Amino acid sequence: MDGYAGNMVFVDLSAGTVAIQPTPLDLKREYLGGRGFGIRLLTDLVDPQTEPLSEKNAVIFASGPLTGTGIPLGSRYEVSTISPLTGTASSANSGGVFGWKMKKAGFDAVVVTGRSAKPVYLLLDNGKAELRDAAHLWGKTTGQTTDAIVEELGDKTVRVSCIGPSGEKLVRFACIINEKTRAAGRGGMGAVLGFKNLKAIAARGDRPIEVADEARLDVVKERVRAKIQENGIEQALHNYGTAVLVNIINENYVLPTRNFQTARFPNAENVSGETIAKTILKRPKGCYACIVQCGRVHEFDGEAGEGPEYEPDWAFGPDCGIDDLKAVVRANNICNEYGLDAISAPATIACLMEMVEKGYVDHPIRFGDAAGMLALVKQIATREGIGDELAEGSYRFAEKYGHPELSMSSKKQELPAYDPRGIQGYGLATATSVRGGDHVYGYMISPEVLGAPEKLDPYVTEGKAQWVKTFQDLTAAIDASGMCLFTSFALDAQDYADLIATTTGMPIDTTELLRIGERIWNLQKLFNIKRGFGRSDDTLPARLLNEPLQEGAPKGQVWRRDEMLDEYYALRGWDTDGIPTREKVEELGLA
Amino acid sequence: MVEGGRETNRTGSVMTVTVKSFATFREVMEMQIVLPFPEGATVRTLLADLTSRFDRLDEQLFAAPGTLRDFVNILKNGRNIDFLAGLETSLEDGDVIALFPPLAGG
Repeated sequence: MDGYAGNMVFVDLSAGTVAIQPTPLDLKREYLGGRGFGIRLLTDLVDPQTEPLSEKNAVIFASGPLTGTGIPLGSRYEVSTISPLTGTASSANSGGVFGWKMKKAGFDAVVVTGRSAKPVYLLLDNGKAELRDAAHLWGKTTGQTTDAIVEELGDKTVRVSCIGPSGEKLVRFACIINEKTRAAGRGGMGAVLGFKNLKAIAARGDRPIEVADEARLDVVKERVRAKIQENGIEQALHNYGTAVLVNIINENYVLPTRNFQTARFPNAENVSGETIAKTILKRPKGCYACIVQCGRVHEFDGEAGEGPEYEPDWAFGPDCGIDDLKAVVRANNICNEYGLDAISAPATIACLMEMVEKGYVDHPIRFGDAAGMLALVKQIATREGIGDELAEGSYRFAEKYGHPELSMSSKKQELPAYDPRGIQGYGLATATSVRGGDHVYGYMISPEVLGAPEKLDPYVTEGKAQWVKTFQDLTAAIDASGMCLFTSFALDAQDYADLIATTTGMPIDTTELLRIGERIWNLQKLFNIKRGFGRSDDTLPARLLNEPLQEGAPKGQVWRRDEMLDEYYALRGWDTDGIPTREKVEELGLA
Repeated sequence: MVEGGRETNRTGSVMTVTVKSFATFREVMEMQIVLPFPEGATVRTLLADLTSRFDRLDEQLFAAPGTLRDFVNILKNGRNIDFLAGLETSLEDGDVIALFPPLAGG
């Protein structure tokens, strides 16, 4: 009666056993679910010195209390592990239907440890869990795997979260895909499953999801539904999808182009959300209980699939100097089928393109070569030829050839689609992100470029540290709740607190909500520190600090780390090395 | 509105400004339009001209007379006018003004 399924399943792949335990009350109270559950369980179970690709690493799938409760946009689940790309305590979030199905099958979390001797998949089946042979699934794409499991179980209600060939091949940025097109994208979660020989998790069931105070929740639900429906930003997401950002970011002269060499792409219109809507869009699509429907179902020249979202659209497009929308979409579809992060894969190709341009690597690829780019995506996906080296990520690749400065990454994870030189607070958020290069652990683009909840001057550093801290903490709490981050364009902390309190019956107000988020953030940080991360890692590629932008309004600007970092650490209650003080650790109950 | 901008531009009294529209604004106005304005014109002047040309634009731009809707963003040469002089931001010959309705992504 609190939004939770009530149980977690612990899977020991080495022993081939499963054990079901009740979801502890204190875990719910202090970490909510989702990313909170994942990070708490990971840091409890795994020694900080653990190699990411070793049987001692753990992977946690967890939904939140709001997942699957019928609350608009309450669909998310989170996968947490030590990332083989960054080495940080990391998480990746996905929507679709799987998170809801996991709960209907009776589980708030799946905790995977050990390593199976042979390929297996886990079936969550209406309160029970069992490991099943997956030898026949090994080598299959995510789509083939999903269809095969559905057919084998003879049950179309089953939902599947799985890896493709890239996870099996241990590509350091392999992702996990549910329902064929929704991705827990970043950080190489798929490689960890591949190492463990866990091909998939399938879930089915019809267990009721009950809440603490249905009458009060219904009132809050209607309030948030109205706020989302009336919000102009949410309407635009429906009409044009996330790729509607291409033009506004480009017109602000902050669209990274050709591996961040410039920040404006002359042909951006060709890959914009407006062009997608006009040319290849068949219909919008949403996740479970979604009333926004930002997803894009496309169809052209016999090719059918979903996307592209803004980030891969930018990365395969402008960042590779490519304006061929169909090539971008095909590349994105390959990522979905093989299970590759569609930010890190293209950003690594863009890095190769610049290495070649500068004469550091001998290869026929050039910026703007769409056919060459498509060939490289497949080579990375299967670790063939140079793809085997690129599968290590842009940082390791560029370092191998003597030029790590050409990897546009932070903590070895490729940066998303915004140039921090013209968006100072965003630069601070991504540089301090506890999972490495990132945009969804505190989306500063919202106030600094889009104007929500209020307009902040993107060129100014003053006051940004406080905004970044608040956004990071609030986002951690939203990720723990099971809500989609896109609700934050319309909802405020009070809305989330009311949704959680009425669903769970726990006394969560806005102060407590942010405190839970801050607890999750600090727990990730403390674990990273034990793994050797420090102040020098909270930064961005030298190019962004030293080479001024050359065009448009932000011409002449660099990212000004030194004006913000000390203030940020102080606001977080951390010392000047970025280490949480004893007082902060005790205050958050992490001592 | 002043007509024949190109001719009078030689005298320095008229300038031309390029206006670009995006997302839903393209449903109610042209994607790109070049307009002449007299010296001293501001973004407010430009928006008044546009709303007189395109019937449905006014309701999409303004919540009330003179007050832009929430999350509408107007850029002058890549800089949000909120950090210039707002609607009183002056126009200069060759300016590019970009108009964005509320939108987001990520």
